[in-house]
Amino acid sequence: MSDYLPFLISGLGLGAVYALSGVGLVVLYRSSGVLNFAFGALGAIGAYVAWSVLDAELPQALAWAVALATSMGLSLAYGRLLAPRLAHRDPTIRSIATLGFALILMGFTEWFWGEQPRRLVLPTDADGLELGEVRLTYTRVLGLALALGMMAGIGLLLSKTRTGLKMRALANDRDLSALLGLRVLQVDTVAWVLSGAFAGVCGLLLANIVRLQATLLTFLVIPAFAAAMLGRLNSLPITVAAGIGIGVLEALAITLPGFAPFRTSVPFLVALAALPFFRNDARKA
Amino acid sequence: MSIKNLVPNTSNPLHVLAGFALLGLASATHADPTCGLSNGRPATGEPLAIGAVVGKTGPDDFSSAASAAAAYFKCVNQNGGINGRPVDYIVADDQWNPETATQVASKLVKDRRVLAMTGSTSFVECGANAKMYAQEDVMVIAGVGVPRECFNAKNYAPINSGPRVSATIAAMYAVQKYQAKKMVCIIPNIPSLGNWACEGPKEWGAKHGVVSETIAIDPGSADATSVMLQASAMKPDVIIMNVPKGILVPMLAAAEQQNLGKKIHFVSSAPAYNIDVPKAIGPYWKGRFDTNLEFQPLDSQGLDNKNWLALMDKYAAKSDPRDSFAQSGYLAARLVTEALLKMDPKKIDRAGVSKALRAVKGFKSDILCKPFYVGDGLRHNANNSGPMASSNGSNWTVASGGCLTAEDPELADIRADEVKMGVR
Repeated sequence: MSDYLPFLISGLGLGAVYALSGVGLVVLYRSSGVLNFAFGALGAIGAYVAWSVLDAELPQALAWAVALATSMGLSLAYGRLLAPRLAHRDPTIRSIATLGFALILMGFTEWFWGEQPRRLVLPTDADGLELGEVRLTYTRVLGLALALGMMAGIGLLLSKTRTGLKMRALANDRDLSALLGLRVLQVDTVAWVLSGAFAGVCGLLLANIVRLQATLLTFLVIPAFAAAMLGRLNSLPITVAAGIGIGVLEALAITLPGFAPFRTSVPFLVALAALPFFRNDARKA
Repeated sequence: MSIKNLVPNTSNPLHVLAGFALLGLASATHADPTCGLSNGRPATGEPLAIGAVVGKTGPDDFSSAASAAAAYFKCVNQNGGINGRPVDYIVADDQWNPETATQVASKLVKDRRVLAMTGSTSFVECGANAKMYAQEDVMVIAGVGVPRECFNAKNYAPINSGPRVSATIAAMYAVQKYQAKKMVCIIPNIPSLGNWACEGPKEWGAKHGVVSETIAIDPGSADATSVMLQASAMKPDVIIMNVPKGILVPMLAAAEQQNLGKKIHFVSSAPAYNIDVPKAIGPYWKGRFDTNLEFQPLDSQGLDNKNWLALMDKYAAKSDPRDSFAQSGYLAARLVTEALLKMDPKKIDRAGVSKALRAVKGFKSDILCKPFYVGDGLRHNANNSGPMASSNGSNWTVASGGCLTAEDPELADIRADEVKMGVR
């Protein structure tokens, strides 16, 4: 067991990454009915902006604020300018449109910041919890805490508040909600700004925990989909648990000789194994 | 770095004169670069077509060697050309796609009838095109080669040493400096690179009582910490990083978070040698991370290195990188130019150019540790020496002791060729 303990602990950090991204995906899906493929790219561009602010030796708080503002602003711009024009299209088309947005953002980020190797250092990296021979940095602890916090906060927002109710109504039937007098654009604005804010926070943490690289951060959303799918794009607690579970399994897979170099397939294998058990829900989604 | 290791460029009398002129103006920063005939007269004759295949668009931009070669040929064309004939340098992007690499190379070799390829740098084209180059008898003086195929082809001669030789030198240095007895070599599980690039340290280690184990990693993995913990669990004295810089930085960040730098020495093959890396990895790695260099440092004060920088300033775009790939492209273009200048300009054809390039030996530059040659061997790896440098927290400090020559057992055939050519 002691041989596996370090990987189990390191998997918690990776799990936090998947859980955070998974929650971000489910939030927008539940509040607007769109699967947001641009989640990772929005976070990535925010993280690059933060790096530039820190590189100019400006305060950490300003870097976070500017990063969040960038992700929120871009998310809002898409949500207000493009998303409404696609509102009456098939859900698949609406989701694929966000993939286009992701590729534009990724292309811009790569072009603007280039290939120069960078590292986003956060003050929470300096120390951590010593567990056996492994250190779980406070950034990773923060990631885990945020995944749980977001799960609880968003769960409450959607189920207990009037804004949450409006969001769910809009996601369920946009036309009917409008007929009933719901201020569609206002609710959309909240949903996209919220999604952008989560993307910004996730982007900063992921750029630190994983790496500051636009392509990787953009497509990190794909394994996170496995966690979101296990939560049936609905349950936030299951998404968080699935994200952490997948992260731990992927880290433990390094101990399997032969499979270790291919362990990035773990999220997809887990999703494939789980899908047959909820075919009906999958059809609805 | 010992100054005696810097070999002055004496292959062309004009260069020697220019060199002395440069020495006299040691403080001048904008010295006029020299190239080819250096006579200041634009070439107006019938153009000579030379090609290159680069991986520009894709996972990384591998075009800086060709950009530097283009700058060199631009300089040549404005300075007398190849005895009056300008070079028409055609660069094609293979987009990191073997199929595209085959298409663009065929177009250059069969349609444009290029005389030679120069400054090519691609991850996929060696495997895709090496056979065709041999069939068509086109010599490739490549900039940088990475996969195994680039160092195992009759008509493909890269200027750099490659990841296997580079990792072997890093391993030799680690044993010399840190008395390492056990090492772990980390490599991406990419076809044609895979374990091959870590077999050098392993085979050299086996002959010298040093154990070297290999960890193949998925370069797309988000989990660097587990890789570092796995390597650390093998209780090595040294970890050899044989990965691209984009993966290296997060790996070292993960190692730093686990404080592994305190008990394990980290060394790397040449991809770590980039001016941004010491700053990106941070002060923790000051004196704890060493890398091999395939060429002399970018800011070395050798005459040819200064000529390369001056030439880039005058003939390349400001945005073109001044990196080690660009050093290789400059050298490839210089080598080809000097070989062509020895030919009768009216009788330059592909067969003659290939023969002239194969005859190249004793090509000197202070950018290289020892004179370069091409030769008629079944494969080419003439550059197999390089210095080491250590991160000082914000930049690289070149290690004392000068160049180390790789004692990789796989180089046995290359050594035999060197003896045959009389260059050893």
